[in-house]
Amino acid sequence: MQALNRSKATRSSRAGVSPPPVPLPRPVGPSPIDHATSLGFVWATLLGVWLLSLLPWRAWPMSPDLLLLVILFWSLHDARRVGLLTAFVFGLAMDVHDVGPLGLQALTYTLTVFGAQSLQRRLLRFELVSQALHLLPLLVLIKAIGALLGAFLVSAWPGWSWLVAALLTAALWPLIAWLLLLPQHRLQDPETTTS
Amino acid sequence: MQRPATLRLFRRGPAAEVKLTLLVLVAFALLFTDATYKSTNPVRELFSAALYPFQRFVMFPRDMISISNDWFDAAALIKSETEALQRQRIELAQVTTNAALLGAENAQLRRLLGVFEKAAEHPSVVVEVLYEPANTFSRRLVFNKGSRAGISVGMPILDEGGVVGQITRVSPMTSEAAMLTDEIISIPVQVLRNGLRLIAFGSTTPGKVEVRYFSSDADIREGDVLVTSGVGGVFPPGLSVGRIDQVQRSSASGFARAEALPSSHPERYRQFLVLQVPIEPDLAASALKPAASKEVPRAGTKSK
Repeated sequence: MQALNRSKATRSSRAGVSPPPVPLPRPVGPSPIDHATSLGFVWATLLGVWLLSLLPWRAWPMSPDLLLLVILFWSLHDARRVGLLTAFVFGLAMDVHDVGPLGLQALTYTLTVFGAQSLQRRLLRFELVSQALHLLPLLVLIKAIGALLGAFLVSAWPGWSWLVAALLTAALWPLIAWLLLLPQHRLQDPETTTS
Repeated sequence: MQRPATLRLFRRGPAAEVKLTLLVLVAFALLFTDATYKSTNPVRELFSAALYPFQRFVMFPRDMISISNDWFDAAALIKSETEALQRQRIELAQVTTNAALLGAENAQLRRLLGVFEKAAEHPSVVVEVLYEPANTFSRRLVFNKGSRAGISVGMPILDEGGVVGQITRVSPMTSEAAMLTDEIISIPVQVLRNGLRLIAFGSTTPGKVEVRYFSSDADIREGDVLVTSGVGGVFPPGLSVGRIDQVQRSSASGFARAEALPSSHPERYRQFLVLQVPIEPDLAASALKPAASKEVPRAGTKSK
């Protein structure tokens, strides 16, 4: 391709037209597996969505868990930085903010991230909508565990709003993942484009 | 060790399963301690103190909007408030004369009976709702003042309608309150009409208070007003609690239960009053845990 460009350039200089700039050779980027997203972006999105979660819109019992989605995204795409411990600490912070049983959301967040990370190899080969379909049973299962445990602790059944919340959370996965992938230009599956 | 830092052939650190097991164990330990010691938990206090600046930061736009609204509506607000106060003053003037009469009569009767009256004046703090937490299991309110303002666990919360609830947890800058209708709250009450002493609990019906454990032939009917009786020492006597709107008598068990509609409206305004009644630590613990906790130390001393 570059050779072709060069020959075109010599031809045009012969014709007397000012030569178009020869494209400079660019260094080949690191392979997408090593390509780490900037630390700042990961934490900015995490803290941003966490601050958003402190706002009162979550008082609606069926509201989707955006914080969990962003933690899930980074635990799948940047598992070295965001993992079980991050999920645990953010869950604990939400427990304290929501004044619920301390450790309940920490437990469900940790379990969700563990489930997603054990599905990681399979999950990342699918496109976003199929990923959401994979995450749906995981989210429903772990929300159910959380609801049962909470019901046991406070001896009152919270109703079925958590199920709708899990469905909405899974439904928002494609959108959130797409938004978080946008600045990284990693919409293609890295493993198919490298070979 | 010769390996360059970027190359990671092998996973370092503990395996994910080990980490998961540890974190799950920690979570269960926290859940257990939190369920056992309801009002104090150092982890919760630490996180709560760390969260406070972020909560204020996030709520800042909302607070600004309400402050500027108040500022621009000040003239209209003052006018309507003045009208309301005028009306209230006229109504209260009649009540006061009546109350003065009753007070004099009451004092005389107390002297006759030899009963001494304790001054029931308590200092109070005005608190504002910081936020309403999203919690599917129980409905709580978080206020913008905590132990630094002299609030402690167990103090009653009032609005102009009567008792709203009770403080359940305190951190230095915030405090958490359970509503009257919450199941963990129990208030000693009295029927205003005939002085029947009862205990009011949060009802299983949302938004209601219920009284139970009284015999089915007790004199209680729909429309009766419940006020705090002052038994137990946490709630001062005479605060309005609610109005009975349903009585269920069961001839089979011999007991009856009644449901009351609370007279306070925690959902309407942002400001509430916390009464700083003197609270003994064991009283606060027993106020939020209805049974069993008091027996433990006694059993321990006996075994020695």
